[in-house]
Amino acid sequence: MSTVDYSQELSVVEGRPSLRELDDLISKPLESKPDKKFFIAISFTGLMLLTGITALGASFIYGTGLWGNNNPVGWGFPIVNFVFWVGIGHAGTLISAILFLFRQKWRTGIARFAEGMTIFAVITAAMFPLIHTGRPWLPLYLAPYPNQHSIWPNFISPLLWDVFAVSTYFIVSLIFWYVGLIPDLAVLRDKAGTKVKKTIYSIFSLGWRFSNRHWQHYEMMYLILAGFATPLVLSVHTIVSYDFAVSIMPGWHATIFPPYFVAGAVFSGFAMVQNVLIFIRKIFNYEHIITLKVLENMNKIILLTGSLVGYAYAMEFFIAWYSGVQAEQFTFINRAFGPYAWAYWIMISCNVISPQLFWFKKIRTSIPIMFVLGVLVNVGMWFERFVITVTSLSRDYLPSSWAYYTPTITDFGILIGSFGLFFTLLLIFTKTLPVISIAEVKAVVDGAQPTHKDH
Amino acid sequence: MNSTHHSLDYVRKDLPVNFKKIGLILSVVGLILVIAAYYSDPVRSAFNNLVFLMLLTSIGLGAMFLVAIEYIGGAVWSTPFRRIAEFLAAVLILVPIAAIPVYLNLHDLYHWTHTDVVAADKILSSKSPYLNESFMLIRIALFMAIWLIFYKIITGNSKKQDESKDQNLTTKNIKISAIFMPFFALTITFAAIDWMMSLEPHWFSTIYGVYYFSGTVLAGLAAVTFLAVYLNEKGLLVKGLKSDNYYSLGALLFAFTNFWAYIAFSQYMLIWYANLPEETFWYLARWGGNWKFVTLGLLVVHFIVPYFGLLSQPSKMDPKRLKFMSLWILFAHLYDIYWLVMPTFSKESFVFGWIEAGFLSLAVGLILLIFNYKASRENVVAIGDPKLIRGINFRL
Repeated sequence: MSTVDYSQELSVVEGRPSLRELDDLISKPLESKPDKKFFIAISFTGLMLLTGITALGASFIYGTGLWGNNNPVGWGFPIVNFVFWVGIGHAGTLISAILFLFRQKWRTGIARFAEGMTIFAVITAAMFPLIHTGRPWLPLYLAPYPNQHSIWPNFISPLLWDVFAVSTYFIVSLIFWYVGLIPDLAVLRDKAGTKVKKTIYSIFSLGWRFSNRHWQHYEMMYLILAGFATPLVLSVHTIVSYDFAVSIMPGWHATIFPPYFVAGAVFSGFAMVQNVLIFIRKIFNYEHIITLKVLENMNKIILLTGSLVGYAYAMEFFIAWYSGVQAEQFTFINRAFGPYAWAYWIMISCNVISPQLFWFKKIRTSIPIMFVLGVLVNVGMWFERFVITVTSLSRDYLPSSWAYYTPTITDFGILIGSFGLFFTLLLIFTKTLPVISIAEVKAVVDGAQPTHKDH
Repeated sequence: MNSTHHSLDYVRKDLPVNFKKIGLILSVVGLILVIAAYYSDPVRSAFNNLVFLMLLTSIGLGAMFLVAIEYIGGAVWSTPFRRIAEFLAAVLILVPIAAIPVYLNLHDLYHWTHTDVVAADKILSSKSPYLNESFMLIRIALFMAIWLIFYKIITGNSKKQDESKDQNLTTKNIKISAIFMPFFALTITFAAIDWMMSLEPHWFSTIYGVYYFSGTVLAGLAAVTFLAVYLNEKGLLVKGLKSDNYYSLGALLFAFTNFWAYIAFSQYMLIWYANLPEETFWYLARWGGNWKFVTLGLLVVHFIVPYFGLLSQPSKMDPKRLKFMSLWILFAHLYDIYWLVMPTFSKESFVFGWIEAGFLSLAVGLILLIFNYKASRENVVAIGDPKLIRGINFRL
C-alpha cells in the first residue's frame, strides 16, 4: 500500500491560506507590541551578551593572559568559535541559493530566516579574528591599499584570504537578503499604520509597486545573486579550512579538508536553523508554512552532511595509517586515545553516531527528538573544531614542548557572549522584519500557479 | 505552453541500425588491437587496460549514482531520461570482465605486489596489511558484487513498474537507493585507492576518493546527456520533451565541472603549499618531460572549455551544444584517468599510439553494444513511473 502519490506534486503550504491571510500572519509580529515572553528572552540573551562584553573588556585591559592559550596551543577558543560561527552561517546560503537553483520549493518558508541567521552568524564570527588582530580599531590594515607606511597585508597567508572570503560572503549574503526583502517591505509599507513606519518602509522598499516589470527584474536579479552566492558557500569554508590545511601540522594537513569543512558547516548550520525554527513556527503560528515536512527535509540534509563528515573522519584516520607517516599516525591515535579523547568521542558520538537516527522516519518527524539531535550536532561540531585546533597543537612535533590546554572562565565568557550576540540579533530580527518571505510563500500556495488543466 | 500532456505518447522502437553497426565495428577493431597490443607490449597494454577499466567503472557507477539520486531526491525532470542511465549502469556488468587482465598483470602495474621490494621498503611493508594481493582481490570482488546487486534490484524494480505501474516500487527503490549511498561512497573510494592511488604506493591523499567521484558523476552525466539528446532527436523517447527538459542536465554538467575543478584545485593547492616531499613527487611526476603539457591541458580540457561552454543559460538547453559538450566531457574524463594512471608507466613523456586507440575503441564499442542490447529488449523510457508525466511536462 502506497501512502504517497508520486504522480502529484505535494503542496508546500498546508491549508491553502488566502493571500490576505498570509500578509496578516507574517507581518503580525511586526505590528504587535513585544510581549512579556519577548522581553524575558531578550533579557536573557542580553545578559549573555553582557557576559561576553565583560570578558572581552577584561581581555583588552589585562591582556590575553586571561585566556587559556599557552605555548604550543597558540590557537584556542577564539579560532574554535570563529570556525564554529562561520559554519553556522552556511545553512542560510545553502537554503536560499543552492536549494533555489535546485528548485526546491519547500525552502521558501525557511529561506528568509536562514539567511538572516547567516548574516548574524557571520557578524558573530567576524568578531573573533578582529579580536585576534590585537588592535581591532585598525581594521583597515587588513585591506590591501597603498598606505603611507607602505605596509601590505601578507598575501601568502590564508588568514588574509579569510578576510576577503568572509567579507565577500557577508556582502553578497546581505544584498541577497535585502533584494529578497524588497517586495515584502512594500507589503509592510502599504500596511503600515504610523507615518514613521511608512516612511522607513518606503525608503527601503525602493519604490516597489508590484508591477510586472518589477517582478521580471527582481526574478532575474534573484537568480543571478543565487548564482553568485553558490560558489561562496563553498569558498568561505574552503578558505577557513586552508587556515589549517596549508600548514604541515599533522592532523591539519589533509587534502580532504576543504570539502569536509564545507559539509561540516552545512551540517551545523542546518542543525541550528532547525532548532530555531522549531520555536519560531510554534510561537508565531507558522506551522502550516514551516510544515513538519520541511523539518523532515532539513533532517535528511543533516543526515547526509553528518554522514559526509563521518566519511571525512574515517578517511583521515585511514590515510593517516596508510600514509606511513609517523607523526600523522601519532596525531590520530592521540586524538582518539590521548588526553583529549573525551572531546574526540563527544565529537564522534554527536556528529557521526546520533544523526544516523535520522534514517528512521519516526525520528525525523518527532519534534522533541529532532530538537535534541540538532543540539547535539552543534555540540559535536563545536567540539570538532576544538579537537582539530587543540589536539594537534598541544602535542606537536616536539615532545618537550607538549602542554595541556585548559580554557579559562574568560574563554567561556566570550563563548557565551557570542551566543548572546547571535540570539539577541535574531530576536530583534523577528520583531523588525518578516521572518518568512511573504512574496515567495504566496507563489507556492496551492492555486497560485498557472494551470492549463482546462485548455 | 500548450503541450501539457496527460497521457503517454510512447511507442517502442529499435535504435537506428547504425548504432549497433558502429558499436560492432568499434568493438571488433578494438578487440583485435587489444589482443595485438598484449602480444607486442604487455606492460603498456596492462596500463591501458587499467584506464579502460576505470572508464567503464566511471560510466557504469556514475549512471548508477544518477538513478539512485533521482529516487532519493524525488527528482521529476529526470524521470523521462532515467532509463537511459539504467541502461548505462549495465556497463557495470563489463567491469569484472575488464578487470581480469588487470589481475593477470598485477606485477606489471603495482609496485607493491613485489614481495622483495616491499620487504626492503619500510613504508611499504607497514602498508602490507592493506596493500596485498589477496586482500585486494577480496575487496574488489566485494565491491563489484555490491554494485551488481544494487544494479539488479533497482533497475529490476524500475523495469517491473513498466508493466505493473505500481507506485510501491518507487517507494521501494527510494529506500534501496538510500541504502546504496553509503555503500557507493565507500566502494568508489576504495576502488579508486586500490586501482589508481596505489599505482604510486608511497603517495597518499585523503581527497582521492572524492576526486574520482567527481569525475565519475561527470562521465555518467555526460553519457546520459548525449544519449538523451540523441535519442530524443531520433524520436525514440516519449513525445513532448523539449529543450526545457534538458536544462537540468546542462546545469548539472556545469555544476559538476565546477565541483571537479574545486576538488582538483583543493588537492593541488594544499600539496603545493605545504610542499612536503612525500606528497609533491606525485605532481612532479606529472610535470616532468612533456607531461607538463598534458597537465596544463587537463586544466583547459576538463575545466576551462566546459566551463565557458555551459556557462550561459541558453547553452544548458541547446541540444547541439549539449551533444558537443557531453562528448567533450567524456573525452575530458578519459584524459583525466589517463593523466592519473599513465605517468606511472611512462615517466619521461606521454604516449599515445594504436594501443591506446585500440582500448578506447573497444570501450566505446562495448558501451554502444550493451546499450543497444538493453534498448532492444526494454523500453527506453520508464513508462510505468508515476512521475513520468510530470517529468515530461516539466517547464522552467
